[in-house]
Amino acid sequence: MMKTISRLRYKYWPDQIFGEILQKSWMETAVPLAVLIFTIVFFSTQIENFISPANLSDNFRQASELGFVVLGISLVLIVGGIDLSVASIFALCNLLVLYCMHVWQLPLPASIAITLVFGGLLGAVNGILIGYFRMRAFLTTMVTLIVFKSIHDLINVKVAVPISSNFPDSPMWDTMGYGSILSVPTAVWAFGIVALFCHILLTRLRPGWWLLAVGGNRRSAYNIGLPVNRIVALSYVASGALTSASAIFYAARLASPGADTGVGLEITVLTAAILGGIRLGGGKGSVMKAILGTLIILLLTNGLLRMATSAGTARIILATILLLAAALDIRWFKNRHKAVQEMYVSPAYLKLPEMPDDVAAPNAAFAPNDRLKNVETIGLGMIEAPEDVILDADDNLYSGNRHGEIIRFFAPDYKRHEVYARIGGQPLGMAFDAGYNLYVCVGGMGLYRVTADREVELITDETNRSLLSVIDDSRLKLADDLDILPDGRILFSEATVRYEMHEWQTDALEGRGNGRIILYDPKHKKTTTVLRHLTFPNGIVLGSDGQSILFAESWKCSIKRYWFDGPKKGDVEMVIDNLLGYPDNINVASDGNFWLAIMGMRSQVFDLAMRKPGFRRRMAKQLPGDEWLAPNINTGCIVKFNEAGEILDVLWDMHGENHPMITSMREHKGYLYIGGIYNNRIGRIKLDGADETFVSSGKYHVG
Amino acid sequence: MLDNLISWIGSRGNTRGKSLSIPVFDGAFKPNSLLEEADILAEHSGFSDLVAGADNRLLAACENTVVEVSATGSLSEIAAFDRPVTALAQLSDGRLAVGLGDTVVIGVGTDAHVSIDTVDGRNLTAVTALYPAPEGGLLVCDGSKSYGCDDWAWDLMNNKKDGRLIALDAQGGNARVLASGLGYAFGAYTSQETGVLVSESWNHRVSHVADKRAGPAIDRLPGYPCRFAPAEGGGFWLSLFCSRTQLVEFVLKEKDYRTEMMATIDPRFWISPSFGSGSDYLEPLQGGGVKQMGILKPWAPPRSYGLLVRYDANLTPQYSLHSRVGGRHHGICAAAQVGDTLYALSKGSGRIVKMSILKTRATLFGENAA
Repeated sequence: MMKTISRLRYKYWPDQIFGEILQKSWMETAVPLAVLIFTIVFFSTQIENFISPANLSDNFRQASELGFVVLGISLVLIVGGIDLSVASIFALCNLLVLYCMHVWQLPLPASIAITLVFGGLLGAVNGILIGYFRMRAFLTTMVTLIVFKSIHDLINVKVAVPISSNFPDSPMWDTMGYGSILSVPTAVWAFGIVALFCHILLTRLRPGWWLLAVGGNRRSAYNIGLPVNRIVALSYVASGALTSASAIFYAARLASPGADTGVGLEITVLTAAILGGIRLGGGKGSVMKAILGTLIILLLTNGLLRMATSAGTARIILATILLLAAALDIRWFKNRHKAVQEMYVSPAYLKLPEMPDDVAAPNAAFAPNDRLKNVETIGLGMIEAPEDVILDADDNLYSGNRHGEIIRFFAPDYKRHEVYARIGGQPLGMAFDAGYNLYVCVGGMGLYRVTADREVELITDETNRSLLSVIDDSRLKLADDLDILPDGRILFSEATVRYEMHEWQTDALEGRGNGRIILYDPKHKKTTTVLRHLTFPNGIVLGSDGQSILFAESWKCSIKRYWFDGPKKGDVEMVIDNLLGYPDNINVASDGNFWLAIMGMRSQVFDLAMRKPGFRRRMAKQLPGDEWLAPNINTGCIVKFNEAGEILDVLWDMHGENHPMITSMREHKGYLYIGGIYNNRIGRIKLDGADETFVSSGKYHVG
Repeated sequence: MLDNLISWIGSRGNTRGKSLSIPVFDGAFKPNSLLEEADILAEHSGFSDLVAGADNRLLAACENTVVEVSATGSLSEIAAFDRPVTALAQLSDGRLAVGLGDTVVIGVGTDAHVSIDTVDGRNLTAVTALYPAPEGGLLVCDGSKSYGCDDWAWDLMNNKKDGRLIALDAQGGNARVLASGLGYAFGAYTSQETGVLVSESWNHRVSHVADKRAGPAIDRLPGYPCRFAPAEGGGFWLSLFCSRTQLVEFVLKEKDYRTEMMATIDPRFWISPSFGSGSDYLEPLQGGGVKQMGILKPWAPPRSYGLLVRYDANLTPQYSLHSRVGGRHHGICAAAQVGDTLYALSKGSGRIVKMSILKTRATLFGENAA
């Protein structure tokens, strides 16, 4: 009963999606967004009319004022600094703009300009001290916070009365304070424009990238020649100017030269920035995060206010949230990749048919023998990782290696070799067309062609993206084996869309249908996925009817057949459902049957683990990869079978002297050539009674 | 704080937290190939114990017999039994004692032999090792209450900890349980300097036994300790029949998996330590054990391993002899020193190997070190 529940859970619950979502970079913004939504929902259930138009409009007006400061401090945080003095700059600028407007009666644009420049200058004090004199940001801005505040207090006593007793006659000034344009508050318009500019700056413009670069790694930024000091200094200037902009709108709205203007502002904006997900350590942050943080903090303060929380309590709540956010910020950024790593591997339930008890009995279909013991060795030490081997009409032998080349061994003795082509990724399955152009699946790159005159050309490296996939599966991650169809199209397999080639072991541990079979149509230059959710598909070979292919599903230990044409088009049928090992490449034999490479043998403990996804998940989390239980790929064999699924012959290298792991084999003129992805040699064995004129590849034209 | 909380939550289920780390081979345990390269003296698949007799004869338990191994490696039978001999010792008076799984026989080959099969009201189940006490008595290791000597893997996988260390007098009487509740007693030793020691294989430690209690004397061993052999110049040789792997430690925490593994799979193919490996493709393989470019890495996670450690009388490890992954001389379960020659019994390969201690020390520490 419990087993059934567990099986169904693993069958239908999409475990893998969590890891995939977590991997997305937009997850960083998703967290503050979720917090914002939670805040809104919470307060709208607690407070009536919390999202009424009037309240919203008021909230947004305040949010925009706060937003200017948050934007400013975000720029500073991105550079890796901190600006505590914003509160005092805010207070001073408030006084200045009020004095300009009320007492001097200056025109509005002049007042704004003077205030902005003044704010920038105050910021420049910080900037010069921190950027050029290399003083600590925290201490410096704390000192300027106190100094500016003291100056403010001194001046405030003298100018408060003149400001309060004069009133400017400026409708524009009033519109800035509490007017609206198209029923959106003026402040919101202004903030929107500035925010948009900052967004473009950070994401599209060079100075913005410089900011991120300096914050990400100051030394590297210096080493590539960025004017680090100037960039740091300018970020404080920007912070000061943006704070003064905020003060202007604040002054226009309240016209109040209060003694406690801006007190505690630095805590509020810091909380907002960090809640939004802007890192304290620098190098990360966006305008969207700043806005989200601002909204959260504003709704929170206003909500608390309307719930009649006392000012002290509200402060404490805010401070607690800041503390939590800072702790979470550090832990999250430090451990996110670990979380992704742990979450990403999501083993599935995979029940293989029982292994027969008499697997090793002398008369069993898979009875071990030592027929591969006396293979002739080709290229020992000259080739590393020949996944697939293929021969041309002149009997030259081709094979990929792990350095990303195709090596050609010359007939007749295969003692000499040359680099036939350089590709750059590891060549896996290969096939010749009738013109002896070599089509090759390249791990991590896609499907390539090496023409008869040795030009390397890309055939395709992407297919149609599936509708519901979280990760982008349009790129080909692990194209694996292919065959050329009689009509000139190419069918090839992609073993897994979730892992890179060197991570095949993780895919084996997952045992999920991560692979697919893809059709390339050269006439229309179109690549389409024809079969999905296959468990490490492999070994594509054309069937005898010319309308179907045989393919292997490695971790499912089975061979299947897929019709791409004819009356059964689209059908998939099982050919062998209970192999004793993990099948890899399949190729045609001279007698019309098929050769199958078994890369490794099943073991009962691994089969059992495949039925226990939780066990494998914990194993993947707690043990390093080298310690994982793995499929036994230290013993492989070669099997001959027919389309009816009967095992006709088995060749073993029991002690794994030459061919512990076999990933491919190809019959050519009476010999069988053997390759293995973890081997450093190619094997060759004479086949008794085989057709000595038989050539396995090079039948059909592509196109 | 957060870490503690998470690890506390983790320790509720088997998710994380509990450390799976195992001691690494460093210091005196630094790997070498000395065991692997040792000369082969004799080969027989049934060897199970080895002792150096009082008159420098080399005696071995082999299937149902006790044999003397000559300097050339030929075997001559001394005594035969109806069951496999599981442990062997020579008392200080020269008489032989053997363990026959669930029985101890003292005075083999003489008319006055005594058989003991019950101690303190509990039957002996797995007599894994015998060691002569200096005053003429005998220390007996009864590995488990539930499983015989051959079924030790069941004992481990069931997390059993009910081995006993028993002392007998020279006549086989006056049986006393020195310690019980041992995580598989598989070797005992006693001397003036060290007191009574017993190997607790499943606890990866050698315990010091006094007043019916066993406390750790050598802790956090990188393998599963088994029998002791006295070394000339004080101290002893400790054989470890396999080294530990994180996978086995992990499986020991996974009850569900273990239960089904024990119920459905032949013990030869379990995830467990082993005396030997590499003979069957159905054996489990770990990721690091995949052959690359025709080579099995010696640092791959071992299924079986050969390890023999020299301890001095202060229980400080001096040096160790290894047969690493890919080697043959695995499953070292007994050793014997005769003069300069060290003999080791590799159960995995069924071989008795020998080497010169002087030469070994010279290889390890340089020519002048001997």
